[in-house]
Amino acid sequence: MGGAGGFWVPGPEGKGLQAKISDEGSSLHPLLPPPCIIQSCWSLHRAQRALLETPSSRRLSSQTKTTARRRSQRIRSIGKLAHVQASGYLEEQTPRTLLKNILLTAPESSIVMPKSVVKPGPAPQVVQPSSRESSRGSLELQLPELEPPTTLAPGLLAPGRRKQRLRLSVFQEGMDKGLPLSQESRGNADASSLTSSLNLTFATPLQPQSVQRPGLARRPPTRRAVDVGAFLQDLRDTSLALAPPGESLTAPVATLPTDTVLEDTQPFSQPLVGRSPSVHHSLPCPSHSGAEDAERAVSHRTRSTGPRLQNNSPGKPAQLLAGKAEVDALAMNFPNTSSSIFGEVGVEPLQDGVGGEAEERTEKSLSMSKVKEAARARGSARAQEPEGHTQVTEAEGSQGAIETKEPEGSSGDCPTSSRRVSPELASSTPEFLQAKRIQGLEPAPPPSTAVLPSEPLEPLSARLPPRARTPGPKACQNPYKTGLSHYAKLFSFYAKMPMEKKALEMVEKCLDKYFQHLCDDLEMFAAHAGRKTVRPEDLELLMRRQGLVTDQVSLHVLVERHLPLEYRQLLIPCAFSGNSVFPAQ
Amino acid sequence: MVLSTTVSQRKHIKRKAPRGFLKRVFKRQKPHLRLETSGDLLMHLNCLLFVHRLAEESRTNACENKCGIIKKEHVLAAAKVILKKSRGMMKAKQK
Repeated sequence: MGGAGGFWVPGPEGKGLQAKISDEGSSLHPLLPPPCIIQSCWSLHRAQRALLETPSSRRLSSQTKTTARRRSQRIRSIGKLAHVQASGYLEEQTPRTLLKNILLTAPESSIVMPKSVVKPGPAPQVVQPSSRESSRGSLELQLPELEPPTTLAPGLLAPGRRKQRLRLSVFQEGMDKGLPLSQESRGNADASSLTSSLNLTFATPLQPQSVQRPGLARRPPTRRAVDVGAFLQDLRDTSLALAPPGESLTAPVATLPTDTVLEDTQPFSQPLVGRSPSVHHSLPCPSHSGAEDAERAVSHRTRSTGPRLQNNSPGKPAQLLAGKAEVDALAMNFPNTSSSIFGEVGVEPLQDGVGGEAEERTEKSLSMSKVKEAARARGSARAQEPEGHTQVTEAEGSQGAIETKEPEGSSGDCPTSSRRVSPELASSTPEFLQAKRIQGLEPAPPPSTAVLPSEPLEPLSARLPPRARTPGPKACQNPYKTGLSHYAKLFSFYAKMPMEKKALEMVEKCLDKYFQHLCDDLEMFAAHAGRKTVRPEDLELLMRRQGLVTDQVSLHVLVERHLPLEYRQLLIPCAFSGNSVFPAQ
Repeated sequence: MVLSTTVSQRKHIKRKAPRGFLKRVFKRQKPHLRLETSGDLLMHLNCLLFVHRLAEESRTNACENKCGIIKKEHVLAAAKVILKKSRGMMKAKQK
């Protein structure tokens, strides 16, 4: 009676369960299936837990083998109905189930070392009882399901989830293994050979799958390495062509460890670890994704460095350092266009980045101020923003190019190379030398990390300078004008007619006047209400005064008409669940 | 944020409100005052409506003159009218 129900009884009540089980034969309880079905439907682990609870209860009462076997038989009989998934793993072995098992049992060669186990709360528990019962023939078929997740899952669930490529390769390996071993798989029933048999069982169904569906066979990613190599070769050629005077600045040794660290994250660059081409190999791979981010980040940072150059303020060292690293990546593309301002930009981020060298920094700051004045005089014609951008990029770029080209150069080359580079610069040679030396002698991580993503950005180099210059001047020179032009563009859109340029300028003037009036009115309204903060109510009153908001047309209507959804949500109070209103009134 | 939402015109601008710009403008004009968070969104709405009215008026002026292009004079005339409408009420009330 209660034997079947006892499956769901947790440990403490095991004794009662045991009594029930011992009394009962192998009959099924009519009420059992529903909870079993519900439980098993959740996941394989749940099914395992069901199996677990009986062994745990068995452990408590220290039953004999026969009882366990009876229970296992009961389990199986129940499993036929409820544990479709569980039994189906071995009986049906669809590609889906196989892949799922592979996901659970990814090979130990995963990159991420498993520290914490995410899933297998019940899994480890299942291991022990399942191992004990492994020799039982009745549980053989079901154990293979339990063992792989329990034995291998702890280490592999997390990495198995993260790496899609890994799973496919595992799948493939499993398929390859399955081909020669297919005949032996079925026969093994020993606990010792269970793991191997498990692998075999995995492999066995894989083989027919691959035979039946050759499309499942994925090509190994070897082709990628070749493409990368060709790509890197092109990069190197272009970089060599771009930077004739460039010499290595930083020690390659310093770059290598970081390179290897970065390489590890890329599966297809694994075979190339330790070789100089591999350094370049790894560069484009992670940098492809990082290139765009670096670009965006650089555009942000160069904008910020532009005003900073003007202000000559220390700024934020962390930001600059990071920005410099990323700028290095981008700047690799401008090795040949080093200018006198080159040193200045190189100096400034260095100055902010290097915390410890105060003396050099003071020297640098002095030189920097001089250089800046010179640069400003020279750069007055050009817009500050793109200048700063290109300067930064050029400065870091030449360094990056140099570093990437000769990774085997020694740190001793740094001063020589810097000396070689500095004469090219029109001004501030000594400061530049200092800056270069300091940078060369610095621990490599910032330049090396910059170097790493810099290479693949070479092809983007040609595009970057023109792209940087267009939005640059307006944004930096006159942010007020930028805002006005934003509304002027809206004007031209609303007008739906072609307009003269002068008309647009006229519109901007009108907008300026309008803003003045607007602020005055708001001030008046706030003062009238005895406040010093302008509130949305003041704005609404203003619009009412202007005749935009009437009794027929409310503010919310206008908001809905003209503003995008995100702003609407912020402005119009809306009721949410939990009796809350946002924005709060 | 919502960027370009319509495809009607190729060079339609993003619908993002230049909140920083608006805040800066207000601060420059009235440094002793403060502006609330949603205030600048409503300010942006106000600007949009102003520009909208201005554009409509300018287009009307241009069409009246049977011009296919909006010229400076049209804009100027429209601005006079609209600016008066936008702020005239306050001064009129005061008087």
